[in-house]
Amino acid sequence: MKRNLLMGISAVLITVLIASCGLGGGARRGATGDTIVVGSKNFTEQIIVGNMVADLIEAHTDLKVVRKMNLGGTSVCFEALKRSGANNGIDVYVEYTGTGLVNILGMEATTDPDKAYETVAKEFKDRWNIVWLEPLGFNNTFTLAVKEDFAREHKIETFSDLQKISDQLVLGGTMEFMERPDGYPGLKEKYDFKFKDTKSMDIGLRYTAITTGDVQVIDAFATDGLLVRHNLKILQDDKHFFPPYYAAPVIRQDVLEKYPQLKDILNQLASQISDEEMQKLNYLVDGEGKEAAEVAKEFLKEKGLI
Amino acid sequence: MPVAEYINFMLERMDDIIVLTGQHIQLSFIAIVVAIAIGVPLGILMTRFPSISSFILGLANAVQAIPSLAFLGFLVPIFGIGSTPSIVMVSAYALLPIVKNTYTGLTGIDKAIVEAGLGMGMTEQQLMTMVRIPMALPVIMAGVRIAVVMAVGFTTLAALIGAGGLGQLIYRGISMVNNRMIVAGAVPAMILALAIDKIFSFLEKAVTPRGIR
Repeated sequence: MKRNLLMGISAVLITVLIASCGLGGGARRGATGDTIVVGSKNFTEQIIVGNMVADLIEAHTDLKVVRKMNLGGTSVCFEALKRSGANNGIDVYVEYTGTGLVNILGMEATTDPDKAYETVAKEFKDRWNIVWLEPLGFNNTFTLAVKEDFAREHKIETFSDLQKISDQLVLGGTMEFMERPDGYPGLKEKYDFKFKDTKSMDIGLRYTAITTGDVQVIDAFATDGLLVRHNLKILQDDKHFFPPYYAAPVIRQDVLEKYPQLKDILNQLASQISDEEMQKLNYLVDGEGKEAAEVAKEFLKEKGLI
Repeated sequence: MPVAEYINFMLERMDDIIVLTGQHIQLSFIAIVVAIAIGVPLGILMTRFPSISSFILGLANAVQAIPSLAFLGFLVPIFGIGSTPSIVMVSAYALLPIVKNTYTGLTGIDKAIVEAGLGMGMTEQQLMTMVRIPMALPVIMAGVRIAVVMAVGFTTLAALIGAGGLGQLIYRGISMVNNRMIVAGAVPAMILALAIDKIFSFLEKAVTPRGIR
């Protein structure tokens, strides 16, 4: 009796195991052959533009597209890109010029957008054989944001205004922002911020934290849709600390050589999305709860790109 | 009625939730099988060669002490993204309770029982397969049970490296400040952990030799 029971349970478990191995194997095989793996970082804007890249390739080529969206941050995306899609990595994702310049290359920030783009394009090519395609148009710069009524009450417009009362405030930032040289460490030096305390947290949680009042200042992305939803005011970087963060697809050179048509297909996105448009798209997802993939597809249709 | 809202959201996303739950089960299951396949023989080896036991236990302890996110960061340059690094990480974490319980189970057996076996003329091999392992099985299963519940929890991190699973809803929900989405990922993960715990508690009883029940 007991023995039968044990055998039964073992049989079920073994079946599940075999079935799952089969499935797993199938999923992994997807990344070889005429396949392009498109990645994105783990915030809304990235998932939207990542889906746009994937949709465009799907619509204009016969290549099979695998979407690896929502990867945990710049380092995961970039490491995956260096490995390539055929090797458990990715082939293309959208990166920002400032992030490439300061965070990945470890170079000095510049306020000149063209110079930033030229530098990353040259260095990525020389060091890793990775190509920067044409920028999409919007500049998703880092910035600081406070509640609108708080800004009114204390008459804060710029980072310098904020500095004057910074010793009474708590700053909440994403973990990446608190560590990156083009994030808080550099910003603190430039403006001489003296925040009472700083807290690092996950991307979306800082909006919750500023709403509940646990922090008074957060780092924000200029095109972030959540800024609208939470009545936050973007402050002006009056000493121009943050470099420009123009978004552009980064793709492996070997993939471009194999499928040269990809260059023109993806460059159709060049200068197509303004700051306002990107913020609106982000808001459709973060504010109105639409699917990022749908928002991307609708935008491309509107622009006549697919 | 907020509860109804949450339930509605889950119903709306049912297709997603089912696919992600499937991925979640798959990832944690493969990881746990790998952990058992490595952990149990390692535990047996430790009883044969006691000199290595503190080293192996120390190593398993040290792995457990690595923060999970940092661990994933190490694994991406080596294994890329997707299911492989996730399985490697989860099985590494699941190893400790399995190794520890295998070792404790095998060494904690009443000397008199082992001697009775010896007295009957059993070889060391026979003692292991006919006395030690059956006697230790309930303890080993208890370790596996802890490991499985841990594995289901750790597998939520798979979402950060493109391997899917229920973590995808949780992390997406956090970054969109959408509590309904977080719950839609967290509740199935919780139910999964509880259900698996139940199944294994059942197995634990089933493998207990009749003589010591």
